[in-house]
Amino acid sequence: MSKVETILANMKAVAANPKQAIADAQAKTGKAAVGVLPVYAPEEIVYAAGALPVGCWGKATKNISKARTYLPAFACSIMQSIMEMELEGVYDDLKAVLVSSPCDTLKCMGQKWKGKCPVIQFVHPQNRNLESANVFLVEEYKLVRKALEEALGVTITDEAINKAIDVYNENRQAVRKFLEVAADYPQVIDPVARHAIMKARFFMDKADHTAAIKELTAELEAMPKEAWKGKKVILTGITAEPDEFLEILKEFDIAVVADDLAQESRQVRVDVPEGDEPLMRLAKQWQNMYGCSLATDRDKDRIPMICDMVEKYGADAVIYCQMKFCDPEEFDYPLLYSKMEEKEIRNLMIEIDQQASSFEQIRTRIQSFVEMF
Amino acid sequence: MSELEGMTAKQKLAYYQEKMYQDALDGKAKGELVCWSSSIAPCEFCEVMGIHMIYPENHAAAVGAKHGALAMIELAERRGYSLDICSYARINLAYMDLLVEEAKTGVTPKELEECPGPRIPLPDVIITCNNICNTLLKWYENLAVELNIPYIIIDVPYVHHWPIPEYTKEYIADQFEYAIKQLEDLCGKPFDRQKFIEVQEQCQRSVNAWDRAMGMACTVPSPLNGFDMFNFMALIVCARAKYAAEDTFNTLADELEAKAARGEDAFKGGEKFRIAWEGIACWPYLSHTYKSLKSLGCNMVGSTYPGAWSIHYTVGNMKEMGAGYCKMYSNTCLDHKVDVISDVLTSTSSTGITYHLNRSCKLMSFLNVETAEIVKERTGVPYVSFDGDQTDPRNFSPAQFDTRVQALAEIMEQNKK
Amino acid sequence: MYTMGIDIGSASSKVVILKDGNDIVAGEVIQFGTGSSGPQRALEAAFEKSGLSFADMTKVVATGYGRFSVEQADKQISEISCHAKGIHFMVPTARTIIDIGGQDAKAIKLDKRGTVSQFFMNDKCAAGTGRFLEVMSRVLEVPLDQMAEYDSRATEVVSVSSTCTVFAESEVISHLSNEIPKENIIAGVHASVASKACGLAYRTGLEEDIVMSGGVAQNAGVVRAISRELQKNVIVAPNPQIIGALGAALFAYDEAMKAQ
Repeated sequence: MSKVETILANMKAVAANPKQAIADAQAKTGKAAVGVLPVYAPEEIVYAAGALPVGCWGKATKNISKARTYLPAFACSIMQSIMEMELEGVYDDLKAVLVSSPCDTLKCMGQKWKGKCPVIQFVHPQNRNLESANVFLVEEYKLVRKALEEALGVTITDEAINKAIDVYNENRQAVRKFLEVAADYPQVIDPVARHAIMKARFFMDKADHTAAIKELTAELEAMPKEAWKGKKVILTGITAEPDEFLEILKEFDIAVVADDLAQESRQVRVDVPEGDEPLMRLAKQWQNMYGCSLATDRDKDRIPMICDMVEKYGADAVIYCQMKFCDPEEFDYPLLYSKMEEKEIRNLMIEIDQQASSFEQIRTRIQSFVEMF
Repeated sequence: MSELEGMTAKQKLAYYQEKMYQDALDGKAKGELVCWSSSIAPCEFCEVMGIHMIYPENHAAAVGAKHGALAMIELAERRGYSLDICSYARINLAYMDLLVEEAKTGVTPKELEECPGPRIPLPDVIITCNNICNTLLKWYENLAVELNIPYIIIDVPYVHHWPIPEYTKEYIADQFEYAIKQLEDLCGKPFDRQKFIEVQEQCQRSVNAWDRAMGMACTVPSPLNGFDMFNFMALIVCARAKYAAEDTFNTLADELEAKAARGEDAFKGGEKFRIAWEGIACWPYLSHTYKSLKSLGCNMVGSTYPGAWSIHYTVGNMKEMGAGYCKMYSNTCLDHKVDVISDVLTSTSSTGITYHLNRSCKLMSFLNVETAEIVKERTGVPYVSFDGDQTDPRNFSPAQFDTRVQALAEIMEQNKK
Repeated sequence: MYTMGIDIGSASSKVVILKDGNDIVAGEVIQFGTGSSGPQRALEAAFEKSGLSFADMTKVVATGYGRFSVEQADKQISEISCHAKGIHFMVPTARTIIDIGGQDAKAIKLDKRGTVSQFFMNDKCAAGTGRFLEVMSRVLEVPLDQMAEYDSRATEVVSVSSTCTVFAESEVISHLSNEIPKENIIAGVHASVASKACGLAYRTGLEEDIVMSGGVAQNAGVVRAISRELQKNVIVAPNPQIIGALGAALFAYDEAMKAQ
């Protein structure tokens, strides 16, 4: 196996079996695990506490049964899956779980946690251009920090948070660089592999992930670029799971050259800025966030952002991965759609259901879409 | 004000509502400013600036109650709005499109002509407060972008632990100042602080009159039925900063007191059970739900609506005012939500409660199971849940509703024994 | 030269054999879809009708939900492209296609050359599809093929507005218990299917001619309801159920020409 193949195989293994990956990381580092629900959280504070932050983004092949008691059918599939796993005790080994409240569903999820560990809910301010919003968020983060200290029995120093920020910023930069490079190697980094690399981030120590990503990027850069005979697309939305959907893209020679997925690029879009007070630095990262349906976007800058991405990456089309029942995304779609039609950017909306078991309609849509070119 | 003399509260409600819609239309024609606002956003600032206020949620509910929702909803879906989005938002966004089309072409689109709700003018500015839900932030963001107008946000962060922290109040108070600045820029004139005090005083008097009238539902038997509550709510939303609300609610309270003194109830002696309704009304089926409950002798006396607009604060205190707008029960943690609903049941002597699992409102649905269980444990009051929607008529089944409330009545009957 | 198109849908299987990309020598429909004996029976029927066999087929293209299960196919093409191709062949002036099948409803926008320029499909919900009509036919105790006839006798269109099929069922039952004539209820059921399909169709811009295909296009009641809703003339494609298979056979012909 080549070095690239080895790294990809590792990433895929981590993404496919988070439980094992977390156990491995814990065995290696002796760290306790803390869960982090979608979409954004100050993971650096968890990392500074000497714990391993673990992303809880649901599971693709989960049958939903127990969760039906607590969540109506019109909750999104990620939350259905998380609720199911809460009830099955999947999260019981976590020392705590962080829940943000950017949408109405998550506000409720933070109030109805059924797992054993303590839930730490916090809220991002939405009047983001005001300095008072940063001050507010610092206070929320202080509560997060205190609750983590209690749950983990540690003291979290400013110094440790600043160090964690460095680790995370380095990871974000490395991932962004990787994504830029990967766009030129669709033969190697296919949609499924690309997703696995982004997903593995949630279950690995960030320092380890950074090292692997840097190595992979260097290997890729050393390879000759080949012309791509298929189509190039940009994915936007919350998530492009399950893998079956990405397999369909692969099957029809569609390369993902960039993404605006909450689960992927949005996680690494903005670095934590410089500064003295670490919690204020983290608060300002939220202020600087852009192009996301969950962060107030007074001018809908997400729309020109995506149009620009199409140009920059020479994409043939945009696929709007609409997580079923995610209303923040549902509101953005009609406006983005109108703009893309106006600019004659080919686009396709696919309804995403993490627990989907039948992909025939998606396959039909993707195939028809390709046939249109 | 002679034409108002001798009017009943119901007549005043109709009179003032119509007048406000008309004033806004006339004002717009004269070049005055119009603001669209969410229903529990602070109205004080725009009132000081003399801006006409329109409340899209109320307008959508009115369109729904008059059976005009479906036409609007279908238009929104044509634009690509998912049918899973809040139906108030879909109605309003479609209505906005029609108004824009009319303004551009000078021709009134057929759907606008045929829409049974009151006509409203396009806004020059919008204000929203997420004390109801975060969906409002997205809905108003779309309005702001489509119309390219100033967008005032009053962000009241979700209170995940009761009580409201001081730093939350400070953040809201600072946003009030920013809102004032946005309005000063828009209107090109300074914000009149003296008038602000007067407006706040009026709001407090309106809210007191509202409390007084709605409080009559606690009388056994009740002279007020909750569906009237749903109707009168329109005015506490639209006219909180005006004498109109104070006037109407005091008249209503006088009428209800007189009725109670005569020993009359809302059902002419037919009040067999007293129940609470948790959630928004099903506007297209208002009459069906009312009649269905009435046929069982159920008077709906308990609702979280009265409390939602019971916004009290010390005049001049920005932080308290901020807290007043932040405390809306759907913006607070499960514990506080349970407290609020339990209080409604106790204070109104309700012996049953219905939970509306509202397809349009995730925030007012996703904690229903937990809320219902804890409230029942605490108060012993039985509950039923039914599927519905605030204005999308396609998501409600009369047969299901009738069966569920009948079962509730049967349980309440058993509990009486 | 003969080419074949096979359209395996969720509720039916269709086979078209085309001579020289122009003459339909067989166009067979069996009302059983993917996973059943339907595909095999449709093939047998087409061979019997034409007196031909697989050996005579220069190229075979499969479409429909079951398209990947057809071993003999040289190529699989989506039903969107096949419907567009088939409709363009039958009605060259068509610019908008409304296709309602067993579990899918779609609206397709065509350019002048007959190629797909945009398309919309229903969400995961039976409302607005053939499946919805089947459920209602059972509740109403009126066979599917008689629904249009009932509709033609309706004096009024009653409202059947529920999005959810279960709710719509209860809506229909309550109309029945209120002794509303079945004719009027059926007209309401058709209007409900039409409204869902039109929701998709509006998004195409509705350029004329508007042509309907798919099994449901055989129901004149739904066609009338769609025409009423859109306030536009709606043409029903000749033999609407075989349009997808026809498109596939035409693609097969193109493939054969390319190969030569």
